[in-house]
Amino acid sequence: MIQNISRRSLLAATAAVPLATPAIAQNALKGTKLTILVGQFYVPENNAQLDKLAVDVAKDTGMEIRVERLAGDELGVKTAAVIATGRGADLSIGVEFDTYLYASKLADVTDLAETVGKQYGGWLDVAKQACMVGGRWKSLCIGQAPAAWNYRVDQFAAAGYQKFPDTFDELLKAAKALHAKGTPIGMTLGHASGDARSTNYPVLWAFGGKEFEKDGKTVALNSPQTLQAVEWYKEIYQYFVQGTTAWLDPDNNQAFLSGKCSATVNVNTIYLASRAAAPTNPAMKNIMENMDHGNWPRGPAGRFASYNINTWLPFASSTNRAGQLHFLKAWFDQGFLPNWTKTGQSYFIPTFAGFDNLDVWPDDPKLKIFRELNKLNRLEGYAGPPTPAAAEAVSKYILVDMFAKACTGQLKPKEAVEWATKEYEQIAKKRRA
Amino acid sequence: MSATTIPATPRRRRGLGHWLDHEQALGYLLVAPVVVLLLGLVAYPFFVAIGYALTDRTLADPGEFVWFDNFIDLFDNQIYRQTLRNTFVFTAGSVTMRLVFGVGLALLLNERLPMRRFVRSAVLLPWIVPTVLGTMAWLWLFNPNFSVINWALVHSGLAKEGPNWLTDPDLALFCVTLVNAWRGTPFMAITVLAGLQAIPIELYDASAIDGAGKLQRFRFVTLPLLMPVLLTALVLSIIWTFSDFGIVYGLTKGGPMNATHVLATLSYQQGLAAGNIGEGAAISLTMLPVLLILIIWQLRRIRRSTVI
Repeated sequence: MIQNISRRSLLAATAAVPLATPAIAQNALKGTKLTILVGQFYVPENNAQLDKLAVDVAKDTGMEIRVERLAGDELGVKTAAVIATGRGADLSIGVEFDTYLYASKLADVTDLAETVGKQYGGWLDVAKQACMVGGRWKSLCIGQAPAAWNYRVDQFAAAGYQKFPDTFDELLKAAKALHAKGTPIGMTLGHASGDARSTNYPVLWAFGGKEFEKDGKTVALNSPQTLQAVEWYKEIYQYFVQGTTAWLDPDNNQAFLSGKCSATVNVNTIYLASRAAAPTNPAMKNIMENMDHGNWPRGPAGRFASYNINTWLPFASSTNRAGQLHFLKAWFDQGFLPNWTKTGQSYFIPTFAGFDNLDVWPDDPKLKIFRELNKLNRLEGYAGPPTPAAAEAVSKYILVDMFAKACTGQLKPKEAVEWATKEYEQIAKKRRA
Repeated sequence: MSATTIPATPRRRRGLGHWLDHEQALGYLLVAPVVVLLLGLVAYPFFVAIGYALTDRTLADPGEFVWFDNFIDLFDNQIYRQTLRNTFVFTAGSVTMRLVFGVGLALLLNERLPMRRFVRSAVLLPWIVPTVLGTMAWLWLFNPNFSVINWALVHSGLAKEGPNWLTDPDLALFCVTLVNAWRGTPFMAITVLAGLQAIPIELYDASAIDGAGKLQRFRFVTLPLLMPVLLTALVLSIIWTFSDFGIVYGLTKGGPMNATHVLATLSYQQGLAAGNIGEGAAISLTMLPVLLILIIWQLRRIRRSTVI
């Protein structure tokens, strides 16, 4: 439950809470080395802030810190290499299911997690689900990137919709009307590592479908609810802009920014890109002025969303455990994290209940919705935890391909569900063995 | 009678110099660095991969020995079977295109062209540029919204709308095959060109005197003499294409609906993205029979051709 606390009371309370990790004598870190693997945050200033933090911590402690910035999928590969070999880095940034995949090779950071949680009014449930394995914190949640419906207000209005549809039925009708006006919508159905997840899982959940039972082992995909979700998708697909089954992560951004697509599911990067280009580019200015963000519509089972999560993975193989903890403490410090969040314009939002009341939210009215969206996230593998089996299904794009096979007519909806279920069962059997 | 002293035969030192005097020992010594490199960089990872493939190892867990379960599971999996079929279609298609375009290009470059040196260098560009860079360019060409090809088709009135290059499963497989062929054609062309230039001009003169036309000269002089070079280039192309990763990963990541997955991309997806290193190794090793047959055949040919 999210506590309603003011910024003033939060700061007053946290001032008295010392970080419960063992006090690290700064001299003890002098001469030690710390290697941190990171990716590229979309907002360049966020990268610069991380680099500056590393420099400041190094200056304070005498510890030699190396930040290794890797592009795209390279970060995951390097992290996997460190896990497999036990060498190469002390800390890394991972995604939501990495904690489950690598739990036995990650250090226990429960003490620090509890202290940091108290500091910011408690962790959101989604952070606990992503970072705790067997009741222990094996990673710390950096934040989540809420994906909203990016839509063209002017084109929706021209099709008879003054606001973004609130139900899946309305969305279907709106898609039909927009298609008739020559301004179709588009949902990522290709092998896009980020957008495919955030676009397709909420559809399954909205109709009441689920991948696994609560035990995280029993496959629960083959259900009337899943079939309903597939049938809805098949129907709306005929009103999509062309090419969505091949869309990789940049493609929906490009389609929207080029004016070819009137709505798509994405984080705030489409808006940020148009806003940045607006002063010199009239086309971008037009898009910036005429677009907005909408929440996911409600389905028969409710309103759900799936956001990409980033976590700090502390490698158990690190020989500089004290350095690891010291850097993490500095990251979650009140002097750093709120400012880092505000700079990011809600691209990445830390998963703390208390953040709702902090001055970390963007002033731009078109980004205001992300504060609400931050409370709406569910992890892959539902109704179970984000297990390695769920992670494998994500990496194999089973759910995405289930929808795509039905949409393109390669399989009938029922056959597509059966195909996906068989894939899930093979994964679950292997992971159980 | 004077006593004569027979000087003792000096004992030969058995140091490094002694061993270096022996041809056989020197041979082993000179080969040793290569053997060490091969053992360390090829044999060791290869046997480790075999070991992994026989376990249910994940990145975080050493797993247990499962005999051939990984391989059995693979053949029961629709995505793997589809990937295997894709890999063969991809390889056969790409190598055929490379052969046709490569030989054609080589024959053209062998003629007296204006700016011949420049053209020969320019032809190498697809082979020289990094895979990612070339793939990015093709990604734009195939983009449903920004494709220059589609724009040209629509604006020239040839089509109402351009094809869905990477959306249609069959067309997507054709596209990744085409890009692979585009990248590999310069290698084929330059290799064949070298072979063409090694053919003595006298043979063409003699066949011309005998009344052979252009086609006959190609059929009875060029082709037989080109065959050893052509076969080598062909086998290398098959090996490289069969195990290609970058082009498919860059263009489609195996999509849409796994229509373009090849063994290398599926192995990466399973081994690294899903952390299922045992299964990933097993997928990679299923490439082995095809590659092994080709390599043995090629090595035998090389050995035969070097025996005097």
